[in-house]
Amino acid sequence: MGYEPRNIGKPGDPGCATGLHTSSVGEARFCDILDGIPGLVITAAATGELELFNLPVLEFFGKTPDELRNWTAGGIVYPDDLPRLVEAFRLSMTTGCPYDLEYRLRRFDGVYRWFHGRALPVRDSEGHILNWYFLLNDVEDRRRAETLLASENRLLEMVAGSNSISEILGELCRLVEATATASYCSVVLVNSSGTHLEHGAAPSLPSTFTAAIEGRPVNTDSGPCAMAAYLNEQVISVDLALETRWEEYQWCPMALAHGLRSCWSTPISSTIGKVLGAFAIYYKEPRTPTTEDQVLIAQFTHIASIAIERQQSQMSLSRALDELKASEGRLRTTIDAIPGLVWSADPDGNVDFLNQAWCDYTGVGLEDAGGSGWAKTLHPNDAAGLTGYWASLLASGEPGEFEARFRRFDGSCRWFLIRAVPLRDETGRIIKWYGLSTDIEDRKQADSLLAGEKRLLERVASGTPLGSILEDLCHFVETTVTNSYCSILLVDPTRTHLQHAAGPSLPTNFNASVDGLPLVVSSGPCATAVCLNEQVIAADITLDTRWAEYAWCPMALANGLKACWSTPISSTNGTVIGIFAIYYKEPKTPTPRDQALIGQFTHIASIAIERAQGEAALTRSEAFLAKAQQLSLTGSFSWRVATGEITWSEQAYRIFEFDPALTVTLELIGSRVHPDDIPLMRDMVARAQAGQDFEYEHRLQMQDGSTKHLHMIAHGIVDEAGQMEYIGAVQDVTERRLADQALSKVRSELAHVARVTSLGAMTASIAHEVNQPLFGIVNNASTCLRMLAADPPNIEGALETARRTLRDGNRASDVIKRLRALFRKTEAITESVDLNEAAREVVALSLSDLQRNRIILRSELASSLPLVIGDRVQLQQVILNLLRNASDAMSSVTDRPRQLVIKTEEEEGDRVRLAVQDTGVGLDSQTIDKLFQAFYTTKSNGMGIGLSISRSIIEKHRGRLWAAPNSGPGATFSFSIPRGPGAVTGVDSLDTIQTPVAVTEAARVMGNP
Amino acid sequence: MDISSLVSLVDDDESVLESLPDLLKEFGFAVKAFSSAEEFLASDSVNATKCLILDIALPGMTGPDLQRELTLRRQNIPIVFITADEDETIRPRMLEQGAVECLFKPVSEATLLKALDRALCVN
Repeated sequence: MGYEPRNIGKPGDPGCATGLHTSSVGEARFCDILDGIPGLVITAAATGELELFNLPVLEFFGKTPDELRNWTAGGIVYPDDLPRLVEAFRLSMTTGCPYDLEYRLRRFDGVYRWFHGRALPVRDSEGHILNWYFLLNDVEDRRRAETLLASENRLLEMVAGSNSISEILGELCRLVEATATASYCSVVLVNSSGTHLEHGAAPSLPSTFTAAIEGRPVNTDSGPCAMAAYLNEQVISVDLALETRWEEYQWCPMALAHGLRSCWSTPISSTIGKVLGAFAIYYKEPRTPTTEDQVLIAQFTHIASIAIERQQSQMSLSRALDELKASEGRLRTTIDAIPGLVWSADPDGNVDFLNQAWCDYTGVGLEDAGGSGWAKTLHPNDAAGLTGYWASLLASGEPGEFEARFRRFDGSCRWFLIRAVPLRDETGRIIKWYGLSTDIEDRKQADSLLAGEKRLLERVASGTPLGSILEDLCHFVETTVTNSYCSILLVDPTRTHLQHAAGPSLPTNFNASVDGLPLVVSSGPCATAVCLNEQVIAADITLDTRWAEYAWCPMALANGLKACWSTPISSTNGTVIGIFAIYYKEPKTPTPRDQALIGQFTHIASIAIERAQGEAALTRSEAFLAKAQQLSLTGSFSWRVATGEITWSEQAYRIFEFDPALTVTLELIGSRVHPDDIPLMRDMVARAQAGQDFEYEHRLQMQDGSTKHLHMIAHGIVDEAGQMEYIGAVQDVTERRLADQALSKVRSELAHVARVTSLGAMTASIAHEVNQPLFGIVNNASTCLRMLAADPPNIEGALETARRTLRDGNRASDVIKRLRALFRKTEAITESVDLNEAAREVVALSLSDLQRNRIILRSELASSLPLVIGDRVQLQQVILNLLRNASDAMSSVTDRPRQLVIKTEEEEGDRVRLAVQDTGVGLDSQTIDKLFQAFYTTKSNGMGIGLSISRSIIEKHRGRLWAAPNSGPGATFSFSIPRGPGAVTGVDSLDTIQTPVAVTEAARVMGNP
Repeated sequence: MDISSLVSLVDDDESVLESLPDLLKEFGFAVKAFSSAEEFLASDSVNATKCLILDIALPGMTGPDLQRELTLRRQNIPIVFITADEDETIRPRMLEQGAVECLFKPVSEATLLKALDRALCVN
């Protein structure tokens, strides 16, 4: 170490181990041993008062034991380190725990050196502290070597990068100052002409000082740096107060005024020997450079020269790069090696250096870990992999990296990224391997957390049952958090109880005890967490007094659990849906890291639970819908007209009796549609393409030849993309239709019976009433004839009987009048009639007829049509008549769709019009004239009175009824009547159409117009 | 024609009640006319009547009611029913119950005479 100890510690001094008056031979021997130890040893009383100092201590400090006992005063511990040491010391004395610390101590010559100090208590058999031992190991050399290497490489890295010269030199100064305790550093540059000094860097020196130096001429007189640059040799001034040089430029007074006492200036030369500047170290005390100082100076001067050269000339830059290249291996090892566990190995792979951090981490020194001993500190599962990989690197000579777990001194394992780089000489031969192991535990944990999270979310997405996912989550938690046991509970749907969901590693008894606990604060930590919606920590169950009512703690303890952390799992809307609990077999309080993990896990759990519950609800509602469709024989569908994409519900497939695997197309549908209804389907497609809603009844012809009746409704919506999509329902109405047909058959039979019955009754009534006077007339006429034929003729009698005949004839006519009155049982009803509604009713009643005749009916009923006043039944009679006529007119049509349109609209002049258009045989102008005459018919089986009566009805409504040929095939029959009040003049005006009224009345009774 | 034969008529219709007796008198019959069954039963003509022309539909006691009443009184008067109804099923029912004939109004002169002949022959 190159220093001479001053003999301060005199034998005989109390506190001095050497020559201490000892009460026994044993103690004397103890003192000898203490003095002989090649390290600094100090003992202290249990209270911390320093007692004995071994010889190396006294020699190092050059102070008396009394001075040393007052170690906190100053001049012993480096001021920056003192608070740290005092605190550690105080803590050890109060707690009895040892400390282990690195700090700087001042040597007798004023040089501060790094020590690794450890305080160890000596205890008696009962564990009371008897006294303390302090062991101080000088680690200055090691630290300096480390920092030197690190600094060097840091600077080279900066040089290699694009940092400016002043940044590099500034950093260089700071690194020097950090390495050489209490030093100040500056760099000055020589200007391009070589005559004056320029500013380089001096980050810690006052600006007035640097300003005073810059611009000084390069000579022996202007100052130490100028002199060093001028002479190209080191200039050492140990004590500026005693210095006599540079008087001419008053350099020393200037430096002393800035508090500096010593200065060592070293020239910075280029590779070709040209002086580029000077590198100076200052102290506030007189100082002579030690050997280590010189090493440091040489290194940094060298780096400074590289940096400056690179900056100054292109040529020297290229050289600097060569230099850099030469030191690339070292550079790279160090770039990689900060911070972390650093090591090196010989070309055969035998480890020959391990930095302190490495030894500290593993608790194993180079002596054990050297060569291939380091492998013993690997996690057993990683040992084979890493040693194999290392062997492959050695064989290939390529750099590489590997991830493995190293065991820490306390037995726990952490992940490291191990990088190894070979250093080669000029010939390419490997001369060294450098290695760095970086702690990546946190990253690894984040990775595995992420991977675990991803795996769980995938399982959630794939619809794995919730219980299984939550069990997975528990396992995952248990592997991530050492020694933990995990369980997840759910809040039951009634929100009154806890439900066990997962707890794969917890005792079955425990899970069973928790399952079903009521949701009250007193039933256990999980229930409390739900009730309060906050985390509940039971750090030590043995001490916990909560939940006594339910004896939860004894139950947990009986299952070996001593800590429980319950965290609520909340849904996105904030409702607590479950509890995530972690248990330990030892008392434990969550660390911030634990809390972060808990946060992650509960989040995953909430996603899983919410998703699962949401899916369950969805599945349930889907099932409901499917069942409802099945029960109502209703299928649903969507149809994107543009793409032809059709989606069917299950029931729709069932109705059409298609395999659900089939893709639905119009062609597929068409293959089922009843041949007679194909025009209907074409019409529907046409309407859909025109963007209109549609409603149809059509038939399917199934493969077994049976017929199904379908009722279909579709509503068009325009999606985001502007495409028309129909959403619709299709219902199997076969049963209803068959029932309708049966009913309608019964109805028509009934109607016939009714008609016959009413005619019969009417005839009988007419007959009875007319036969009486007729009999009288016949009798009178006979009598009259006989009287006139008698001889002599009885003129008087004949006259009398003729008068009676006349009277009976009148009487017969009276009878007819009376009958008429009898049949006019009801008066024409005048009411507000909605023609649309009236038409709809008629259409509904006619549908089966029309379908039987394969008629496509389309209703185009105007919205908000004004009401008319009239007899609803009579008007319906007219509409029915027009529909039947239209249907009959199309019965022979086979070459085109039998299309029937019923249309209502408002007409000018406050009138309302209803038109029925067919595509039937049509009309010629001659026919039109005769159409409305009674008993005229174009039908083979018609009576020809329908249109005539219809016209009468309409005319009584002050309207008119007419027919016109279509521009295409067929004809259109229309009537128009005035809207609003006053449409019908009165009851009497309807007298002339008695017969239809009577028929209507009969029909009304029978419910079938 | 047996002039002494009394033909009684029961009908509620005014035209018939007025015209038929005149015609029967032209044929030479003695005629008594009644507008109801009760009036006929209360008269002294029941025993003298050789033939009864009886309307079926009568207010109060109907034609068939009167027939049953006469049977009960052992008055076996031949009965010719007349009716304004056109129900063809009435006639066989009436004949079955002992009527000589059942005629539908209006009745022709010849048909009426034929029926009267048969009724009087029964006696």
